Amino acid sequence: MDEAALRVTNLRKSYGEVRAVDGVSFAAPAGRVFTLLGPNGAGKTTTLEILEGIRDADEGEIEVLGRRLRRIDRATKERMGVLLQEGNFEPYLKVREVLSLFAAFFRAPRSPAEMLREIALEEKGNALVRTLSGGQKQRLAIGVALINNPDLVFLDEPTTGLDPQARHNIWAIVSGLTASRKTVVLTTHYMEEAEALSQDVCIMDHGKVIAEGAPRELAAELGQETLIEFVAGAEPSPESLGPSCKAVRRDGDLVVVESEDLVATMARLLEWSASAGSPLAGMTVRQPNLEDVFLSLTGRRLRT
Amino acid sequence: MRGVFALARTQLITSLRERITLFWFLVFPLFLLALLSFIFANVGKTEDLSFDITVVNLDRGSAHGSFGAGVVETFRQLAQPGSSGKAALFRLHEPTDAEEAQAYLAEEIHALRVGQRAAVVEIPADFSESLSAAARAAGGRATAPARVIVHTSGGRTSSDMALGIIEQVLVRIDKEILTKLGLFDAAHAVAIGHREVGSENKALAYVDFLVPGVILMGFFTAGLFSVPGTILFGRERKILRAYWVTPLDVPRFFAGFSLGHIALCVLQFVCVWVLGRYAFGAHIDLFRPLALGYLALAVVTFLSLGFLVAAMARTPNSAMAIANIVNMPMMFLGGLFFPTGSVPPALRVIMLANPVTYLADGLRASVGVSAATFGHAVSLGVPCAWIVGCTVVASLRLKWDVGR
Repeated sequence: MDEAALRVTNLRKSYGEVRAVDGVSFAAPAGRVFTLLGPNGAGKTTTLEILEGIRDADEGEIEVLGRRLRRIDRATKERMGVLLQEGNFEPYLKVREVLSLFAAFFRAPRSPAEMLREIALEEKGNALVRTLSGGQKQRLAIGVALINNPDLVFLDEPTTGLDPQARHNIWAIVSGLTASRKTVVLTTHYMEEAEALSQDVCIMDHGKVIAEGAPRELAAELGQETLIEFVAGAEPSPESLGPSCKAVRRDGDLVVVESEDLVATMARLLEWSASAGSPLAGMTVRQPNLEDVFLSLTGRRLRT
Repeated sequence: MRGVFALARTQLITSLRERITLFWFLVFPLFLLALLSFIFANVGKTEDLSFDITVVNLDRGSAHGSFGAGVVETFRQLAQPGSSGKAALFRLHEPTDAEEAQAYLAEEIHALRVGQRAAVVEIPADFSESLSAAARAAGGRATAPARVIVHTSGGRTSSDMALGIIEQVLVRIDKEILTKLGLFDAAHAVAIGHREVGSENKALAYVDFLVPGVILMGFFTAGLFSVPGTILFGRERKILRAYWVTPLDVPRFFAGFSLGHIALCVLQFVCVWVLGRYAFGAHIDLFRPLALGYLALAVVTFLSLGFLVAAMARTPNSAMAIANIVNMPMMFLGGLFFPTGSVPPALRVIMLANPVTYLADGLRASVGVSAATFGHAVSLGVPCAWIVGCTVVASLRLKWDVGR
């Protein structure tokens, strides 16, 4: 594994009786996208806020860009970029002015004009923040996070509430960051976002880390080869689908069949459908993903 | 420092772009100046006005007695409060027995020039002799009338009003003397000599009283409403949080924010001054060092008051509620729009605790619009104490981020 740009050891943070972060440890390798994945309330944002210097941890060690810190200092902030969850800017500032304002806080910022091009907001340079769409505001927020040309970028749920087009625009920008060897620490509760963007994932639930690794490796560890999903009133027994079927489970209306041999299992499944008179509505075939990892670890879905 | 100046610029331009802010900070003070110029023109003529005047009796007397002492006595009577509780017409200043009258006269004329007196009445040394000469010449040759000299400060409203009243008083005295001397013809025994002593200001008018008040009101409103509004809105909407994840720290944010606020106040000041001077003919010199000192002190006092309100409130709405509660008593019991001399005792406590009172009093005295009630040491000291108190409490209580 590459050298860690960020290393967290036994981080703890409580609000009264509530343990928001409960002994979290992980390492984010340099030059890669590291994602904290988990449902709302998992402790991702609190963890990130500690790492961004917004909150102090109750306990734990933090090592950022090779420096061991009790709390995030000014020198570290010079090398960090942060996109806040639900962050805002002065509504009566123009886009160009926002970038200039934040550029003034750093010793060696990039030019606001250059940043406008990078986030594809050149045409909106003279527009007031209050007139921007959600996607445009989020691109501006990314521009602000990158205005100091940071080595380490924190993106806290960058696509929450955005439409698919805006989401893909953000993904394109994030993907471009790793090309320039920046370390990105991302939080999301979108499994597909984590899979699309991350080289490394840390899954959190109830303030704890429950799994960590590359997305494919985590999915592979489940031992599930292929998943066949369909909507049906009845469900076949694993025995009726032959030895290639590893398991059959129901998830609401959805029936999920785990198979080691797709062709063999599919043939037996079609036979069962005909004999049972139960059509296989909306059938899809897919590989296991992070949602399945979370489901297998917690018994719950990510987006519940 | 780049960050501080960038924040100051942000604070200024966002205030100017927001229509509501623009209205309350610039349009409203100008509107109020125009409105109050009219209202106070009438209020200034009410009977309850009281003027600081000086009477200096240089009369040496004559064989018929000292008529000068009678004139002084008449003014003393007018300086007593009325039986109906009305304020006295004059606040009378006289030399003590130990003071040399001529030197006292010179000092009082200086006080008149700097706006601390509305008029100085001088009873000349030959006053009684002139009257006696008039009595002896009654029915015979004409003699020069005895004169009472009224010194006023050229064009100042309070001086002009005091002169008018003093003239009426002297006409009454004149009739009494004529009766006493048995001179029933129309000739005046006492003539009024009017001398304008000039002013360290140019000619002053009602608007000169209002301009400092409206400028202070603008600063007050900006501090009390804009400061907590901006900070708490920024905190609630996480605009401030976006700053805290950069190398910008609270002291530098505070400096930038304050600098932007001061720039806004300077703009307010210039707009009100320009309107007052060129549209309403104000002539006060607000660019004197002491006046500028009071203006700067006012900006900082109200800025710190705004931080205090921000520290006491949880949300922008509660900040506006607190600001509204303190706004009216502080503004109207601070003497911004009318003199506070006749404020009831119960309200006088608020008035005396109110920094606006001292700032308005000191600023007006520094430009010669009115006499200082408290003296500059007090008028500068009380707002300074407020600044220290507000800043200490705000620094201990104010939360710069949600949840921290």
